[in-house]
Parts: sequence; structure tokens; C-alpha cells
Amino acid sequence: MITPVNGAIDLKVTHCIYHKRGMSRTVLNSTPIFARFTLAVATLLILSTSTAQAQDWFKTETSSGAANIRIAVADFKASSSDTQTVPFKGTFDTTLYSDLANAGIFDIVSKSLAPQSSPGTPAEMNLQQWSAPPASAAMVAFGSLGVQGGRLVANGFLFDVKNTQYPQVLAKQYSEDPSEDSARQIAHRFADEIIFRLGGGIPGIAETKIYYVKIAGGNKEIWEMDYDGANQHAITSLGTVTLSPRISPDNSRLAFSSLGKDGFQIRTYSLLLGRMVNFAGVGGTNLSPAWAPNGKDIAYSSSRSGDPEIWISDINGALARRITTFKGPDVSPVFNPRTGSQIAWISGRTGLPQLYIMDVDGSGVTRMTDGGYATSPSWSPNGQFITFAWNRKYGPGAPGGQDIYVMEVATKKWIQLTHDGGRCDFPSWSPDGRHITYANTADGRADHMRIWTMLADGTQKRALTGTGGDMPNWSWK
Amino acid sequence: MLHAALIGSVFAWALISHSGNTWGEHDVTAGAIQATMVNSLPLPPKQRTLDEGVLTSEKPSPAPVQEKEKTEPPPSPKELAIPTKTPPKPVKTAEKAVEPPKHVQPVPVQPTKAVTGETGGIRIAQATMQLKNGTASMTVADKTFGDRFAYYVNIVNRKVASNWYTQEADPRASEGKRVTIIFDISRDGLPSNVRVGARSGSPSLDTSALRALQRVQDEGFGPLPQGDHITVEYSFDYRQQH
Repeated sequence: MITPVNGAIDLKVTHCIYHKRGMSRTVLNSTPIFARFTLAVATLLILSTSTAQAQDWFKTETSSGAANIRIAVADFKASSSDTQTVPFKGTFDTTLYSDLANAGIFDIVSKSLAPQSSPGTPAEMNLQQWSAPPASAAMVAFGSLGVQGGRLVANGFLFDVKNTQYPQVLAKQYSEDPSEDSARQIAHRFADEIIFRLGGGIPGIAETKIYYVKIAGGNKEIWEMDYDGANQHAITSLGTVTLSPRISPDNSRLAFSSLGKDGFQIRTYSLLLGRMVNFAGVGGTNLSPAWAPNGKDIAYSSSRSGDPEIWISDINGALARRITTFKGPDVSPVFNPRTGSQIAWISGRTGLPQLYIMDVDGSGVTRMTDGGYATSPSWSPNGQFITFAWNRKYGPGAPGGQDIYVMEVATKKWIQLTHDGGRCDFPSWSPDGRHITYANTADGRADHMRIWTMLADGTQKRALTGTGGDMPNWSWK
Repeated sequence: MLHAALIGSVFAWALISHSGNTWGEHDVTAGAIQATMVNSLPLPPKQRTLDEGVLTSEKPSPAPVQEKEKTEPPPSPKELAIPTKTPPKPVKTAEKAVEPPKHVQPVPVQPTKAVTGETGGIRIAQATMQLKNGTASMTVADKTFGDRFAYYVNIVNRKVASNWYTQEADPRASEGKRVTIIFDISRDGLPSNVRVGARSGSPSLDTSALRALQRVQDEGFGPLPQGDHITVEYSFDYRQQH
């Protein structure tokens, strides 16, 4: 979790080691008792008179704030002898563990340290076993899962190990059609419940989706996947180049930019109807749509007047109005998801593209970056930060590459999240504000782009897709 | 005679030489050692003792009143019922409505040992967290809530503590000071009615504590597991680490 400290962005990994010179201890071992006694008294006297010098201690520190909750996940107990139970239980256990490990708010007990038992009910739970080292858990999630009467039934519990009198925090029951996918969905839902309870009121993201561009031959189509990279499947099959998918705040529509006979146009696809829905076409190149948090407006970049400018229309493309009027390209708008009253975008009015913010009526333009080459902003859900791709040393022969940065809007202070991993682009915040997904190509080739995810402080990076995934967009919920 | 004088002089010498009390004198050179270890130990704020505990309570527990055994007086012959020929009618009782099974609560494990003031066995509605520059501790006014939902108390403590930036407090003026903030948590988990319970004497420390609450104002702590609202007393102890 990122917390600004005195205006700076503190990653809470301060490492300081104090070490002070102490007195030699070997003298004491070879002296007679009387001499040892007098020496001890002398040592005490020195200690009491000069406290600062005669101490032998050092201190390490890894965190300035509170530590994370240590949570353990027991393998669920098979509650029936149905042959389907075993593979479903394997999927469930793996998914639940990875969901909690990826949540970013827990210190998870490794499976190799956790007790081997798998309690299925509160009566079978032995709290002592889980609170003792090496598990040393503060919380433990456990339960049972099985196929009963043609349904996949799961009972999940979350116990506070430290509270032996009233350990139960959460008890949930799920019943779904038996399938691999529903085993995974149950695990996601149970994990989200745990994260919501223990994460201080912020819902988990285990049930969210990521929409992205899949590069297949010469075409680019929109695909969808779960937040952990599972369940990848196609949404559109337009047979053309389709870019920058953006999901609406209610998860019902997808807006993107698609190459047709009139050039690049904004188009929308209804996930409820399963087909394209109308969006009024205009001239020029229309790129990078962005949903307003109320779901009633779409901002995008349009060159219908000759120069790429930011326009806002309703979700059918009607009532389009122009927001920016400067010479030079204006692209990649994104609304402040918290207020909906501000837009961050990329403008090339002073030469190289830079990050700017303004109010939705086009007033109050503020430049955020002081140089380099900035692209593809994404505003954090609490409105406090903007993440974007930035090449700070841009130019022929300049060192450095394009990396993901996070900037605090109020202070314009930034931190770099990716380092030396090849070109990174298209960061997108998760709805809990704790994760960022982005596209990365290690060797710089565009068709080797892969989608990655990381915590918003730049840790826990991992790839979600193979090569050919680009422009990820995290759903709003 | 000589022996008596010798013994007398020994006693007199002993009296004269041991009349002064050198132990525990304030003077450092007198032989006693001044050690100020307690101040340097990062002791948590004093915990309340358990009032019901026999060993921890400050109040002496009253001795149980023993009543005298009484012998039952024999029943008078008039009270004996005379058997009648017609048997009494059986009393009709209304059928009891079948109650739905109550939610099964976990049976609390009763401690077998007596609780003393030194054990960690006392669970009170208070959570303490050691931070980089000081200690944050909180108390929930509703004791049963704190017992039942200790995890929620911990989450509140953790969240406020992680949003308290000790850099905002002036280190010199705030050293060793403590400010207590009182606030309510509503059903949806949002803090409200934030006020200073006890000022620390360092305005910057008071402000830093209030700002910590302001930062969690938007997100809150998550919905309350039970009840309409709880009142929380949150103490910030500033202690600079050298």
C-alpha cells in the first residue's frame, strides 16, 4: 500500500541499521570472581553514567507502519466421495490460496509451514495447532467442499486464531453447478469476503475481470480474462484492428477503437446483449475512449476538426462536445474515477507528449510531467494517484526506457515501479487501488507484448498472459 | 574488669561506626547504583486489570456469607392432605410452539487456572500496536463487542496506526506525550464525531492524530459485525526512537 508521507510517497521499506560499539566481553571469562564482581559494578556504573556509549546493540527495521495480518489457508476437506470432488477441490484450494496471496494485504503462511490437517468444520478446528510456530497464523481459513446431489457445495470459515473464546469471523456457504469454473468462482467469492472483512472495508478484486487486446496474426481482437489470468476468451470477432478496450462502470458495455472503412472509429459492444451496439461515427481518427464514473459519458480523442482533440459525448456518440482547443495532439483521456469532474490526458502541445490534468469543462489545465515522453495515464480509484508510462530520458541514444510510474496528483511527486524489464506501457489500476496491470515486452518487439500485474508499490510482479496480450483494462468492480 | 571494658569499647565502636545509613542514599558515590532501565523500556500503556479476577482486582473480594443450617420443623398434622375418592382432573397445558433452532454459538473454553495479573490470559477490549515512533492503542467502550469481535478492533487499530504519520508531529514538543482521540464507528464502518478526548500539550501531535482519522474517513473500516455503532477511544503515544 502506498502512503504519502509528508508529501513524499513512502514505500515503507526503510532499512536502517544502527550499530554501536560495545565493550569486549572476553575479559570477563578469565578473571577471578572478585575481580569479575568489581568489573561488573564498574560496568554498571559506566552504564548508568554514560548510557549512550557503553551499549552493545543494533536495530533493524523493515517497516515504519503496522505489519500485515498473517493468514493461513487450510486445504478444504472433501465432504463427499464423489469422483468429481477431488479435481474441484484441487482447483478451489489453489485459487483460494493464490487469491489471498495476491491480495497485497496479507502475510500468507506458506503451505509447507502450515499444519497438515484439513479441518472441515469448526468442531474439527484446533486453534493451538495454527497459532503455534511455524505457522504462527493470526487468521485461518478452512472448510469443506464436495459434490452433493449434483451440486458443488462449499462451507467456508474464517477463524481468528488469537481469540480462543469467540474465534469465528466469517462463515459462508456456497452452492453452484459442479464445474471447474464454478469451483474457481466460489474460491474467488470466499476470498473476496475475507479480503473485505480484513482489508478495512475495501472489496477484494478476485471477481474482477481484465479486458485486453489479443494480437492474432494481422488482427487485434478484444479478449476477457479473470484477474488472475485464468479463463481467457474472446469477446469480439471483427476481423480488424481493435484497440484500447474500456469497460463501462457497470460492466455492461465495452468501448474501443476499431479500424473500419472510415478509419479508426469508437465502437461499443454490449456484454449483456452479446453484440455490437450503435455509436455514432464521425470523420477523422477516433481513439482511446474513457468512461465517466457515472457511466453516462465517454471521453475520447478525435481528429474530426483536423487536430486530435479531447471530445466528450454520451454513450451513443451523440451530443459530442470539444474540450481542448490547443494546437498539437491531445489523446488518452481518463476521468478521475472518484469525482468524475477531472480528466487526465496526454498532450503534445509543447513538443513531446506530456501528462496534463484539467476539469471536464476544459478549464484549469495543469501540466504534471516536466519532461520525457509520457503516455497512457490511468487514475487511481481514490483519485489520489495517476499511473502512466513514461520515458524520462527520451531521445536518440538516451539511456533508460519506457517504464511505469505513479504520481501523486496533489504534490506531483512520483515513484518508478518497473525497472530494466523492457518497454512497459498501458498501466491500469485495479478497483481496490492496490494493484496495477500493464503490458510489457522484454525484447521490445510489439508482438511479444504480455500482460503483467503487480502491487501498486511495484512488488509482486507476475505475468498473466503469454505473448500477444496488450492494452489491459481492469474492470471497475 | 578489663574484659568488661574491652566488650564495652567494642559495642561503642560498633554503635558509632554503624550509626550512619549509607544504603539507598541519594549520592551516587555512596555505593548505591542508579539505574533508569524502566524509562528506556518500550512498555505498552498500562492495561486495565480484570475486575472480576480474584487475584487481579484491587478490591478485596467479600467472603461468602455462610448461613446457619436450619432444621425443618415437622409438618403439622392439619397440613397433611386427606385422600379423596374423585381423582383431580389432569391440568391441561397449552402446546408449546416449536422454537426454531438457535444459532449455535461456540462454547467458550473456561480457563482451568486462576488468572493472575502477569499472564497474557486477560482479554480486554484493547489493542496495542508498536510503531516506529510511538505506540497506538485503542479501547472500545463496549466490552462485549471487544471480546466477541477482537479481530475488528485489531483492524481499526491497524488502519488508524498505518495512517498516522509520526513525522507530522514535532519531535521535540511531542516526546513522551499522549493524545487520546474519541470517535464513533457507524454501522457502515465510517468514523464519525471525531473529537479530542485528552490533549497532549503538543498541538502538532494532536493535529497528526486527527489527520490520521481524516485519512480513513473515506474508506472506513468495513461494516460493523454487530450493532448500530461503537465508540472508540484511541491513544497515540509519541516516543522518538534514537
